[in-house]
Amino acid sequence: MPFISKIQRQSDYSSFPPDHPIVIDNGASYFRIGWAGESEPRVIFRNIIQRPRHKITGETITVVGDHNPALLKYFDCTRSGPRSAFDGNVVYQFEIMEYILDFAFDRLGADQSQINHPVLITECACNPHQSRTKMAELLFESYGVPSVAFGVDAAFSYKYNQQLGICSNDGLAICSGFNTSHVIPFLNGEPVYEACCRTNIGGYHVTDYLKQLLSLKYPHHMSHLTWEKVEDLKMEHCYIALDYASEVRLFQKGDKKAEEKTRCWQLPWTPAPVEEAPSEEEVARKAALREKQGQRLREMAEAKRINRINDLENEVRDLEMLLQRLRHATTEDDVTLILAKSVHNSKQEVESAFSKATLSLRKAKGEPAESVEKVDSSSSEKYNLISVPDEMLTPDQIKQKRKQIFIKSTSDARQQKKQRQVEEELERERQKKLEEDRRLENPEQYLEELRAKYRDLSEKLEQRKRLKTNPGQTNGNNNNNNNNNNPSGGVGRGERLNSSQRERMRLLTTAAFDRGKGEDTFGTRDEDWQLYKLMSRDNDDDDEDDKLDPYESELARISSRLQEIDPTFVFKSESGPASAEAPRFRPLTKEDFQIVIGVERFRCPEILLNPNWTGVDQAGLDEMAGVSIGRLLLLKVGEGVDEERVTDSILLMGGSCLFPGMSERLEAGIRMVRPCGTRIKILKASDSILDAWRGASAYAAAARFSRQTFSRKDYYEKGEDWLRSYRLRYTV
Amino acid sequence: MLGVIFVKSSNLVYEMEQEVVEAEMVLPSHMKFKKIQMYEKYPKGQPRFRWKHLKQIIPAENYPNYPPDEPNYVNIETPPSTRPCKRICDVTGYEAPYFDPRTKLRYANTEVFKVIRSLPNDYVQRYLALRNAAVVLR
Repeated sequence: MPFISKIQRQSDYSSFPPDHPIVIDNGASYFRIGWAGESEPRVIFRNIIQRPRHKITGETITVVGDHNPALLKYFDCTRSGPRSAFDGNVVYQFEIMEYILDFAFDRLGADQSQINHPVLITECACNPHQSRTKMAELLFESYGVPSVAFGVDAAFSYKYNQQLGICSNDGLAICSGFNTSHVIPFLNGEPVYEACCRTNIGGYHVTDYLKQLLSLKYPHHMSHLTWEKVEDLKMEHCYIALDYASEVRLFQKGDKKAEEKTRCWQLPWTPAPVEEAPSEEEVARKAALREKQGQRLREMAEAKRINRINDLENEVRDLEMLLQRLRHATTEDDVTLILAKSVHNSKQEVESAFSKATLSLRKAKGEPAESVEKVDSSSSEKYNLISVPDEMLTPDQIKQKRKQIFIKSTSDARQQKKQRQVEEELERERQKKLEEDRRLENPEQYLEELRAKYRDLSEKLEQRKRLKTNPGQTNGNNNNNNNNNNPSGGVGRGERLNSSQRERMRLLTTAAFDRGKGEDTFGTRDEDWQLYKLMSRDNDDDDEDDKLDPYESELARISSRLQEIDPTFVFKSESGPASAEAPRFRPLTKEDFQIVIGVERFRCPEILLNPNWTGVDQAGLDEMAGVSIGRLLLLKVGEGVDEERVTDSILLMGGSCLFPGMSERLEAGIRMVRPCGTRIKILKASDSILDAWRGASAYAAAARFSRQTFSRKDYYEKGEDWLRSYRLRYTV
Repeated sequence: MLGVIFVKSSNLVYEMEQEVVEAEMVLPSHMKFKKIQMYEKYPKGQPRFRWKHLKQIIPAENYPNYPPDEPNYVNIETPPSTRPCKRICDVTGYEAPYFDPRTKLRYANTEVFKVIRSLPNDYVQRYLALRNAAVVLR
């Protein structure tokens, strides 16, 4: 990991004499500060601040750089994300910058009343004047710095590598940073800003692109895809493809090489607890428990039955006694006297109550009810009036007779129905037996027949269903399209209705707009009124569904039969939606918690070479080199500058040039934009990230440095405008 | 129970957890080496200073008033690419020969087409936003 914060407070601040410069590399991603002449910066931290609120006291505090994230639990960070002083590669927010400088000087160990050291601080190429002035003002006025120098990080880095002998006096620096990428040509050891170029794309955009792509691909794992984690993924796994098109084709074909290149990040996942099959003991215990409960219920029911029998017996006995007394009673008065004591009003009533009670008693005791024959035997006397002609009967008897006729016909109908049912049952039994015989005769053929029948029927049903939902061959195509899981709408009201509903809608609309069209002849024919019947039927399709479809019942019968005899048979019901719903309910597996990075590995850094993929309408790194060389040749026309002077020493620097494959790709890309046969040499910086600070440190340690700085006095005397023309010379 | 101690700074006293104090993660508001302190420069309760963004800084620089051959922040920008733009599938990153006029997404093959047609609109917009082509409502 190239990025590690170093925020230990230094203790040797006072051991440095006042003229010993402090060197700051103020990069958009990392801030580095240290002493001139040293090889490593003393303090390194991410160039961000956070201003969370303390949860207990509600105090807003400032946290600079990265800290132990566990400690942030005491703070409410919901309203304040990490903030940077940079807009693009330019410092614009000097309040944040001041917090950062406070922290940096504090960690460097500053403990005097002011920062009594010259400061060399980096800025971007062609930094806007306003930003430079504000930085100078801040350093002079808040910190009391005696003198300041501004330099460009890429130039320091190039000079440092030149000193190491990696690159030559003339050359090209390709620096891809956090927010921007620069290509700066060097002639005689000096950067030629007139010929440099900048594209607003850098490591930030690569990380952001990867983060967005992954969170679109894995919306459920968004919480795992933090900025820091994605940055780690980028640094660890991203690479530049030598040829994007051929590389991506590997993945498209699902090549074995592509499989090897795919990385998988397993998120923490605990398998759902597997349900263990209950042990035999458990099963037995459960069965015993169930048995016990059943026993108790049975006992309860038995007790209830006995109770009821007792009650009924008592009732029967009472009624019997009452009847006997009534029979013994001789006078009307006695009868009324006896009846007054009971709840009954007449002897008949008592009798009927008695018969009812005895019947229910018999039922409760579980004895068979009175057989039908008994009724039959008595039928002759029950329906005694039916065969007698009306003329021989009194009006009372006629009434009785009608009643008897009604009772007889209903009971006869019931009898017939029962008979029919029995016959049907027999018929079914017979058919079943026949089928079974057929099956036994030739099981294979039978099964085949059954299957064919099933298929036929289900097809027919399906077709009918389809017809019901969208009939009409004219727009059938269109409707089918809409039925094919079209998610983004386009389905109007009319298309959601079935045929009959649609017909009804049509009728209603024609009725509504029919008024005043010629002579109104509605109602002259009787059929006209049928219209209202059609109109009023709204949920007619539901009615249809209620009726048992003969097809459906037949299908159900066949499928149940198939299920019985064919082990391979799978009952499929409403195949479409059911299968679509299914995966939602399957248990989550290990694979669901994997973040697979395949094409993204080289797709994301590719935006450095094709910025228009992220909507940045500028040329990428390889073309930038061509643009810069073109500008340089144009600038130095007539001076005999050979382009091979620069293409012979192209130095890659900056964090985003660390992607594997970058130099090969750039070589190929630059070869494409330069004339054939040009010597091209791509060099890698000794340390892409820290070289800028090291170069600045070496520069500040040299004796010439004091001539390149400007003091507070200069700043106040010459004014802000002078600072515009200030330019550090790297070779003196 | 964590020990709570008092951190004394110039004008306010507040308490923080021991761990936080030990890590020194909270930036003290008073710095000995400064001539003007933060709380003097940006007093509490005053309206926040609005810093000019880069978009506002650049017009204020008056670059047209200076000779055009002098390098400045604007004229060192790289021009647009002269190569034909490689079109890639917005979802998979494959080469994309096709374009869906409904979602405005580019896609590689029929499977991807199925996917993009089943995407909810906000996802479509997020894919478009990746290449700065989303519909922006103002």
